[in-house]
Amino acid sequence: MIEVSGLTKRYVGHTAVDDVSFSVKKGEIVGFLGPNGAGKSTTIKMLTCYLTPTAGTATIDGLDVERDSIQVRRRIGYMPENVPLYLDMRVSEYLRFRGALKGLGGRKLTAAVDEAMEICSLVDVQRKIIGTLSKGYRQRVGLADALVHKPELLILDEPTNGLDPQQIRLFRDLIKDLGKRHTIFLSTHILPEVEMTCNRVLIINRGKLRASDTPKNLVRRRRQGGEVVVDIKADASAASQAIQALKGVTDVETEGVDGDWARLAISSKGKADLTERIHDLAVDQSWKIRELVQRDATLEDAFVDLVRKDGVSK
Amino acid sequence: MRTWWIIYLKELRSFFLSPLAFIVMALFTFLNGWLFIGVVSAMREKAMPYSLVYQLFGSGWFWMGFFILFPLITMRLFAEEKKMGTFEGLMTAPVRTIEVLLGKYSAAVTVYLAMIVPLLLFFPIFKMITEQEGAYNAGALWGSIIGLILIGAFNTAIGTLASAMTSNQLIAAMLTFVGVMLHYFFGFFSSLTTVADSRWNALLNYFSTPVHMRYLSEGLIDSRPIVYYLSFSLFLLAITYHLIESRKWTV
Repeated sequence: MIEVSGLTKRYVGHTAVDDVSFSVKKGEIVGFLGPNGAGKSTTIKMLTCYLTPTAGTATIDGLDVERDSIQVRRRIGYMPENVPLYLDMRVSEYLRFRGALKGLGGRKLTAAVDEAMEICSLVDVQRKIIGTLSKGYRQRVGLADALVHKPELLILDEPTNGLDPQQIRLFRDLIKDLGKRHTIFLSTHILPEVEMTCNRVLIINRGKLRASDTPKNLVRRRRQGGEVVVDIKADASAASQAIQALKGVTDVETEGVDGDWARLAISSKGKADLTERIHDLAVDQSWKIRELVQRDATLEDAFVDLVRKDGVSK
Repeated sequence: MRTWWIIYLKELRSFFLSPLAFIVMALFTFLNGWLFIGVVSAMREKAMPYSLVYQLFGSGWFWMGFFILFPLITMRLFAEEKKMGTFEGLMTAPVRTIEVLLGKYSAAVTVYLAMIVPLLLFFPIFKMITEQEGAYNAGALWGSIIGLILIGAFNTAIGTLASAMTSNQLIAAMLTFVGVMLHYFFGFFSSLTTVADSRWNALLNYFSTPVHMRYLSEGLIDSRPIVYYLSFSLFLLAITYHLIESRKWTV
């Protein structure tokens, strides 16, 4: 669906997107991750024909974004960052205008607008002026606009930015559902969202593509070791020393002391499961345990690791 | 063509749904009504060799209104969309830049024409009430209408360019104000100088709105101003087109 190769956008004094290549297959939901200013939006603007690449090519459905710009734009439903809308229009009126711009007319237009409003639960507010709607509703109007012409590809730039947790959850479900009918390319910096919705993740930092993998693989790749947290009734420093002596332990950190209880975070390397050894040690030393868990690495850790390696861009 | 029409209608709609349009229209008509009364009273005082139409459009006061009118009509065209970010949504829809530009421009020209209709009605109404058949003739009126359309198209093109240059409506309005005013006064001063055989003067008169209107409002339809305004409007629109396109590859 999307084929990007060597895509570059250079501005005077800095390179926003630097030789990025990736591809997105039909039917995938791909998350595009990166810190602010990493080049996410610039990449998306090149895919949607708003900006022209300095070098490299991008094709949507085999059509070049520069040469077949109009054809490409017909195939894309795009929701820009911060969801700009004409605030003086009514919801249904706005969607009719957008649908008409995208080539729909007559009965087809009416049906498409009705369907888009149905999908995005906008039917109740269709007569309202967009300027009076809350952020959550505006976001849905933006999404309805993106999918009104039933494009094969939806490109969403930070679709849940600025929503409250409840709205984010609704939106996430909506996106998951849309993924059954459309290929989706969405940028975000909300990591749990990606873990829950996307089949694949692209991580970009300082204009360069850092990783492209499933969320699970990214996490697995990161976890060469692991971290175990134990909450025991013992003297913190003595316990630390004892645990430090265990095989495979690289570091012990005191996370907190609560009365007689000490909470320690133990990192290890290798695949060794430390929980068993720590348990045995605790039994030996007759420490009382109230918590002993293996803490899983998250996508967040993987992301932070990747980004930290080359420093955070400005 | 279809896209042009959709954008045209949308622009007209957003203009006429804002109270600003009606305030501007009322104000413009009111000021011109006042001026019209002034011209009529002047003609009552003493005999005038010129027609009512010539007197009105020959008055510098009439053109002052234009300095304000065009900034108000054109300032939002592109500047507002850029500010709100809707420009990105517009340009990433399957539309050609030329369709967007012409849709917006022609909508602004239409708004301008709607503004001058009440003004043009003054003349037949005057004739009807006073039964002064000699107040003006049809040629003078039609010549003036052609002049107003041409000059309006030109000034709207100045405003469209200014609006595409910035995302700040106030700056767009100021630029248009300065552009329209400079063009007018440039021609105004050249129309005052009477160095009979000055070639410079002849050249300057070619750009002069007051000189153009002097002929047109006598009913003399000259092809030079027609060519002048149309070609310069096209030129300004071409610059605007490239300015809009330039966002894609500015570095």
